[in-house]
Amino acid sequence: MTPSGRGPRRCRETLRRLIVGAVLLAAAGSAAPYTATLTPAAPQEIYLQVGVGAFTNNYDAGGQPQINTTINTVSTTLAVGVVGNGTAQAMTTNSTAAQSYWDGFTFCTVPAQLYIGGFFRTTGTTTAAAQVTATVPAALTNASGNSIPFSQISWVSSGIADPPTEPFPSGTFVSGGVQTVGSMASNTWNESCWAFSYSNTVVAAAGTYTGAVLYTMTAP
Amino acid sequence: MSTSSRRAATFFLALALTIIWPADARAKTIIIDDSGSQALEPAVTMRWKSAAPARSATGNLMIGTTTIRVRINVMPWLHHSGHIYLALPVQKPGPIGLSWTTQGRFLPGQLVSGNRVLVYAGPITMPFMEDTLTFQFSVNGALLGRSVPVTYRFEMDEG
Repeated sequence: MTPSGRGPRRCRETLRRLIVGAVLLAAAGSAAPYTATLTPAAPQEIYLQVGVGAFTNNYDAGGQPQINTTINTVSTTLAVGVVGNGTAQAMTTNSTAAQSYWDGFTFCTVPAQLYIGGFFRTTGTTTAAAQVTATVPAALTNASGNSIPFSQISWVSSGIADPPTEPFPSGTFVSGGVQTVGSMASNTWNESCWAFSYSNTVVAAAGTYTGAVLYTMTAP
Repeated sequence: MSTSSRRAATFFLALALTIIWPADARAKTIIIDDSGSQALEPAVTMRWKSAAPARSATGNLMIGTTTIRVRINVMPWLHHSGHIYLALPVQKPGPIGLSWTTQGRFLPGQLVSGNRVLVYAGPITMPFMEDTLTFQFSVNGALLGRSVPVTYRFEMDEG
């Protein structure tokens, strides 16, 4: 091959490289990243348990919250000699909820304590906390129409191995009205155990006094 | 030049090549045309990984799955060898996890946004490469207040 013969061949190679380069550039120019749209669906969930609740399994085992319509009671029976003497009387519950559905840990002591817990889920930046309120009648009443103010009933909040601060703190019922009994930050599990007591500072006629408190959770 | 000095020169040359080569390799990364890909679902529905949250504000992942028929145009590299990566750039709404399974043409894998993972290495024998990939995205629910577009791409490292 003569030097003069190399010229055209080198030109052809250069041209071919240019063409390949042009194809590569064209391919790169037409490429665009693929876009997938992530859409949060039904992102808000709410769960409140006062007394017994329902989960398919513990949360940390993949459990899902269920509905339990059971209405639990908290009660005490006073001997005739102590009615109205000012000595608080411990109340007990018929709730059997001692374990947390979060991990099965024995969190409350039954029948001395009533479990209260729950959570709410929402997407986006955390805003306001969910509020748990109690709608309280003015009084407990008996069949004869006698009454005892609901403010005679208080509760002390705790939980086995819990820090001093409880999401559902200690309190006393108002006699008629709606009161806040706790709050929950979004996307956190919250639970406490309530030990109720009757303050026993009023003298009431003999009888069985009942009243129902409705707990409501309101998420923002 | 003595034997020792030749060794020194060889070592210096090898070192220089070692330094230069990665820069050259990075320059040959090209985004692959995947405009032939088709999503089987119009959007990725994100749901809580767990219905209930933890006691602290952790583990609030939302996950969503979508299936995409991937078709990438590798014609420019036909009859050459290449390394193909799936890249998920850093983007809003924040850290995004992505894992995927394949039908075998590409490799399965997982990554976090800001990284890329090798999905194919070898000769390019067809002008188009196709596979059906099932993607699972995961994002902290606190970052996902509304629908957000997330982009990923296939990249070719030539050579």
